[in-house]
Amino acid sequence: MKTFLWGRRVHLSPAARKILNGVVTVASVFLCLLMLPVRLPGMELLNIGPNWLLIWVVAWSIKRSPVAGCCAGVTLGLLQDGMTAAIPSHVLGLAAVGFLTGRIQKQKYLQEDFISVALIVFGMVLVSETFMALQFALIGNSSIEAIWLQYQRIALVSAILSSLWAPVLYFPLNQWWQKMQALHQ
Amino acid sequence: MYTLRRWWGRHSLQVGLVALAIGAAGWIRFTEAQIVFEAYQWIVRPFQGEQQPELIDAKIRELQLRLEEVERQNQKLKELLGYVEKQKPRGIVAPVVGRSSDQWWQHVTLGRGSKDGIRPDYIVTGPGGLVGRILSVTPHSSKVLLITDPAFRVGVAIARTRHMGVLRGTSAELVDMEFFDKLPNVRVGDTVSTSNLSQAFPPGLPVGKVFQVNLTKSPAPVAVVELSADISSLEWVVVSPNQEARAQNGANTNTPPKAATPREEQQ
Repeated sequence: MKTFLWGRRVHLSPAARKILNGVVTVASVFLCLLMLPVRLPGMELLNIGPNWLLIWVVAWSIKRSPVAGCCAGVTLGLLQDGMTAAIPSHVLGLAAVGFLTGRIQKQKYLQEDFISVALIVFGMVLVSETFMALQFALIGNSSIEAIWLQYQRIALVSAILSSLWAPVLYFPLNQWWQKMQALHQ
Repeated sequence: MYTLRRWWGRHSLQVGLVALAIGAAGWIRFTEAQIVFEAYQWIVRPFQGEQQPELIDAKIRELQLRLEEVERQNQKLKELLGYVEKQKPRGIVAPVVGRSSDQWWQHVTLGRGSKDGIRPDYIVTGPGGLVGRILSVTPHSSKVLLITDPAFRVGVAIARTRHMGVLRGTSAELVDMEFFDKLPNVRVGDTVSTSNLSQAFPPGLPVGKVFQVNLTKSPAPVAVVELSADISSLEWVVVSPNQEARAQNGANTNTPPKAATPREEQQ
């Protein structure tokens, strides 16, 4: 099995390839986690940054089954809970995002380009933030009115930023996974 | 049974990997992502300045001297009254290295942690006044709950009239102060500081200025407070232990550790 790595032809056994794939996948998740607290100029609007973990879940789920998307959503949701607070949980929202993205018959309705990925991310941010807002409303620490105002602001700004930054993450990851898929076959 | 076994034979590796991934994520959540914050701090360390910025110009130096003089006089008067107060503890200066990981929370990450002496529930102040309190620490970083977070509560008082209330964050630069009295004596421009009844914070810490007053709001009148610390552009903060609160807690354990309740105020 031959593959290109760093511009060189490298001979890799299928097992080593699988491990390398796993390492790259985990490393990309870790990179997303590290990006969460960063606010670089151009990457923030009203103190809100892109939702990198959601972009990752969408990138993962687009060409996989709903169940695989759901598993990724649960895993990354747990990670984001660790970064912020356990209640309310991100698991529900991200699992729903993974499931829905897996369900979209992308080949049928959308072509594979930046625009469609950005559109999916835009919609999915709204889905995931709705789950968060509902949980905040159920907990009942602050008034529904305040949550509604905050929801509008967060959902819209986060959706715009995330969909604009989605290709940055989606494109390299998708290329890598496609390459791995091709070698597998 | 056979189909089940065949399915297991084909998918056991995937199931194992999924279980491993979710297990690892659960562990990271359980440890409050300490490993991520440590790695983050390790990566951003080269980009931090070593020294805090020198903001002192002549005017500030003059005001500092006058403040010291006033504080000394205050100390003398308190001694005359038989009021015992311990020496104020020195703060730990810490750089702000990251903002919150989700928009629903108002956190910042500091570049100092338990190795530098920071513990949970320590008080965080910045240029201007109260900024928040420490939520959790890792060896080299710590997470701060900002005063603008909706979950943040602190007992505050209007400095001019000593009318008390509770401050709560609204995820914006302007926060709400809910009064205990039905008709508080408050004007736009009044200074707001932490109240004497607040146990989680030392009394008299500057918080902000009254920006707008709404006395007709139900169930309690509300003042919109403009924070004196610039939360959106924090770079350096001072973390200090809350020794006064701890001493008070030790003296009378019946009082709640957080902000004072309306009933207490009426008594």
